[in-house]
Amino acid sequence: MVKYTINRLVSGVVVLFVISLITFFVLTVIPGDAALLSLGTDATPERLEALRESMGLNQPWYERYFSWLTHFLAGDWGNSLFFGEDVLTLIMQRLMITVSLAVLSLLLAIPVAAIIGIFSALYQDKWIDRLARTVMQLGDAIPQFWLALIFLVFFSGKLGWFPVPGFIPVEEGWWRSLHSLLLPSIVVAIGLIGYLIRIIRSSMLSALEQDFMLMTRVNGLSPAQAVFKYALRSAVIAPVTTILMQLAGLLAGTVLVESIFALPGVGRLLLVAVEQRDIILLQGTVMFITGVVVCVNFLADILYRVINPMIQFGGERNA
Amino acid sequence: MKKLLNALSVLMMVAILAACGSNNGAASAPAPTNNTAAGGPEAEVKAPVKTELKMALTVDPDGLDPHRTTAASTFQITNNLYDTLVKVSSDGEFVPGLAEEWKVSEDGLTIAFKLREGVKFHNGREMTAEDVKFSFERLKGEESPRAGDFSNIVSITAVDNYNIEFATKALDVALVSQFAYPWTAIVPEEAVEQLRNNPVGTGPFKLEQWVPQQQIVLTRNNDYFTPAKLEKVGFIMMPDATSQITALQSGELDIINVSGDAVPQFESNSEYSIIETQANAVQVMAMNLDNEALSDARVRQAINYAVDKQALIDTVWWGYGQEIGSHYPPMLKEYLDTNDAITYDPEKAKQLLEEAGYAQGLTLEMYLPSSYPNYVAAGQVIADQLKKVGLTINIHTVEWGFWLSDVYTGRKYDLTVTGHTGRLDPYALLARYHSESKENYMNYKNERVDEILTQVQQERDEQQRLKLYQELQQILAEDVPALYIQSPIGLTVTAANVAGYQSYPIDIYEMKDVYFTN
Amino acid sequence: MRKGKNNRLVLLGIALVSMVVLLCLTSFIYLPHDPNNMNTIDRLHRPSGEYFLGTDQFGRDILSRIMISTRYALLVGLVSVAVGASIGVVIGSIGGIAKGVLQSVIMRVIDGFMAFPGMLLALMLVAVTGKGLWNAVLAIAIFMIPTYARLAYSLVIDQKNELYIKAAKSYGATPWRIIVKHILPSMLPKLITQFSSSIGGAILLESSLSFLGLGVQPPNASLGLMLSESRQFTLSYPYLAIPSGIVLVIAILGFNLIGDALNDTTVGRRKSV
Repeated sequence: MVKYTINRLVSGVVVLFVISLITFFVLTVIPGDAALLSLGTDATPERLEALRESMGLNQPWYERYFSWLTHFLAGDWGNSLFFGEDVLTLIMQRLMITVSLAVLSLLLAIPVAAIIGIFSALYQDKWIDRLARTVMQLGDAIPQFWLALIFLVFFSGKLGWFPVPGFIPVEEGWWRSLHSLLLPSIVVAIGLIGYLIRIIRSSMLSALEQDFMLMTRVNGLSPAQAVFKYALRSAVIAPVTTILMQLAGLLAGTVLVESIFALPGVGRLLLVAVEQRDIILLQGTVMFITGVVVCVNFLADILYRVINPMIQFGGERNA
Repeated sequence: MKKLLNALSVLMMVAILAACGSNNGAASAPAPTNNTAAGGPEAEVKAPVKTELKMALTVDPDGLDPHRTTAASTFQITNNLYDTLVKVSSDGEFVPGLAEEWKVSEDGLTIAFKLREGVKFHNGREMTAEDVKFSFERLKGEESPRAGDFSNIVSITAVDNYNIEFATKALDVALVSQFAYPWTAIVPEEAVEQLRNNPVGTGPFKLEQWVPQQQIVLTRNNDYFTPAKLEKVGFIMMPDATSQITALQSGELDIINVSGDAVPQFESNSEYSIIETQANAVQVMAMNLDNEALSDARVRQAINYAVDKQALIDTVWWGYGQEIGSHYPPMLKEYLDTNDAITYDPEKAKQLLEEAGYAQGLTLEMYLPSSYPNYVAAGQVIADQLKKVGLTINIHTVEWGFWLSDVYTGRKYDLTVTGHTGRLDPYALLARYHSESKENYMNYKNERVDEILTQVQQERDEQQRLKLYQELQQILAEDVPALYIQSPIGLTVTAANVAGYQSYPIDIYEMKDVYFTN
Repeated sequence: MRKGKNNRLVLLGIALVSMVVLLCLTSFIYLPHDPNNMNTIDRLHRPSGEYFLGTDQFGRDILSRIMISTRYALLVGLVSVAVGASIGVVIGSIGGIAKGVLQSVIMRVIDGFMAFPGMLLALMLVAVTGKGLWNAVLAIAIFMIPTYARLAYSLVIDQKNELYIKAAKSYGATPWRIIVKHILPSMLPKLITQFSSSIGGAILLESSLSFLGLGVQPPNASLGLMLSESRQFTLSYPYLAIPSGIVLVIAILGFNLIGDALNDTTVGRRKSV
């Protein structure tokens, strides 16, 4: 177990390293750099050269990468070339919005998915199962950006049920702030529901199949009692870890929704970083997001193993 | 993990609280004015005239330090926080700013300013000639992206607290205009380190709060020499046009800039007023004369004959734009109407192409900056019209970073659609046509043009300058290194009770004179 | 009973995919209008007898543009997944049979790619490959590699210790021979299943990229690009955004359904209680 944990930990760190290297390299080879973007059409060659020098863009990319890496390892995330502010501060400013969006969508999606998922497992091939399958399939197939667009036009524009795109900070009232996140959350939630139903349904099915369920019946419990006392309990592990992973994945999974609904979240920060060739900001943001994803995956793995030592690993994950 | 749980529980609490006491927060509860502030929130019963204005912005400013950026989005706002020595009126005249008067020497090489007395920075200290000197030295310094523009100023002398002189090396016939640009703001030395996020100026407003990608809130500077009428100005970041319109309609915003397609929604509605303004800018499809075919003037002329500019303007800008025949906006006094030089005539275009040896067609690569949807649309319409005279245009939409590096600086393109914003000095707009200019991304070469551009810089007689500038416009209209499309018309929609909003030949949102009528 | 259900889903999936394929094939024979022809006088024409689904802001016929778009959707879907899957399987198999450092390096790089947030990975890939149809195909193909590499890797590892493989090894077959002759055939059902679901994903990805202006270049039509071009006008002209979105959903849903049904049949893990 200890050996396994250490192994996983090491490979997690290596993965982060690989990611940082890829990101840095990619942003270096694509045309345009932060100095040029900052000066725009007013750039004179001398100015450009001077600004590149002061941004440190004149050194070869591996030297810059190394310097970034050493600072990063020492806990210094660096200053964004575009915003001129500390990268970690920038991320933290936006994290609240993205996390709120992710949590709110999960809060909306989980109850619906749980009800549909559990009942569709209990009543296979009945109408609820058919409903579950329909929702599952549609949730997977509808592009988020299209749904966002249609919802925006219809619910916000035509019906006026929701405020216009843009985030209302909490200082202007909790309810208004929440309200401004509600429509984008619904869009994200619809994308999640299908996947969650799938997980809940299948883990419920496998719980129902296990031997101890047979035992409960032998022991004279009614089917309902059996379900609520035992099956649900053992069926909850997989969905919980999945939900955690989903939450981590949503950190960067809401780019399009954030940009359509004009929410200043982490996803938008990523877009700005790429557009402005802000290599320091991009490195920081990518490290933060993938760091969370890797950690959550790691914890989920360990948790899984602790709860259920019988499980063999090598398993699949969702991309 | 714990953080997530915390966030989760907070959100749940919010949901519960919201269900209990729904507070229907009015979009813009009037802030208590100074007189009623003591009365507490209950004193708001009699709604006074609104003093809090909200305007939409599409892009976040690139910091609020006017000496350390070239971003238009910064200067649109900073003129409210800082002052310049000279200001420009909405009809293009130079008027006193921090300087009460100025005088250019006989030889045109020195300019002396007399400063307004008793002007205070937001931190309470009085502004003096030393601050002006410091500011211009900072503007000329290492880290300033505009340093090159001011390299002609060789010495700055603070004569006393309120008098300052600038000496120049070469004759600049439009010297005074150099002191009216928003980037020549006067800043206090003690605050410069933090200027980017905590601006301190002498302007009519102070910064109250800036949440990047959300909003910028300014409050009135009550010590200002002609205090603003508004108490508070909020610039709200809203990248999406549709949201801006909806927000204006719901009263959340008071001023927005719109594109032509939105006009019908407001046109016949007395709750709004539409302000149309001619911009000091031109929009063009530049051609790269390094391309062998495009180096032939006949091919360029053919392209100009082939495009129906009015249809193009109608389609892309909904008719809001003024057709131009050369690289000059009609709002400036040197403008010469050259629209008749080449008019829409596809037959003539085909004939010219045939003469140039491209009867069987020609393929050109067109690069369009994707962050400017109008340019992408215009490029598509132009490509469609060029197809009708036998040209094949391959469109590439590229990111702004790519456009700057490979198209504009690298000059690797055949055709590209872009815009050029004018300055207060006509020279700045036309200088790129000099064959030696580093901004000559069209690779244009014309001896007479080079001559005019050199001559006009030394010409102190205004009439002579006017003649030279007009000759230059005429040459460009016939030689067409670009397809000159239009000078845009800016459209601003305000709530009907907003008064005093004006536009200027430089790109600024001036809030000092804005007020509500009821 | 179970079989019947699956069959019905497959049929639905096939029906949906056929609709898209039909639109695509028809576009080669007949188009109501030239999809790229701008008729600015008739722009933003609401759906009518002449323009069945209306026209866009340049006066181009939306139905014709949708029909042309299905070509790109199917092309991108099929080609990018085929390329990505082939490369992925090769890499994964190498990872599976290799030992020591090589294996770790391959798998860590794959893990790195998989931990990348999907949209960001796509954005960065396009930043490197450039825009346009074929570059988008390339980017999506690369995007698909890690999934297939992982799949192939775990299948190879699973099979490695099977008896018949050990037998093959014992009479001296080379690793490559074992892979090609024995392991690959046993992987096929799973790969085909994954293939079908990936096509839906690839179509979705292409439309997202085009929506961001990174895929198919104007004036050519792509479902995502059409949505993005109409974005400014959707409030006043909602008909611009609806048909192309629906075609997109039909295409993705069709391939997903087929993939899922195949998955149920090949894996056969769903037993009745």
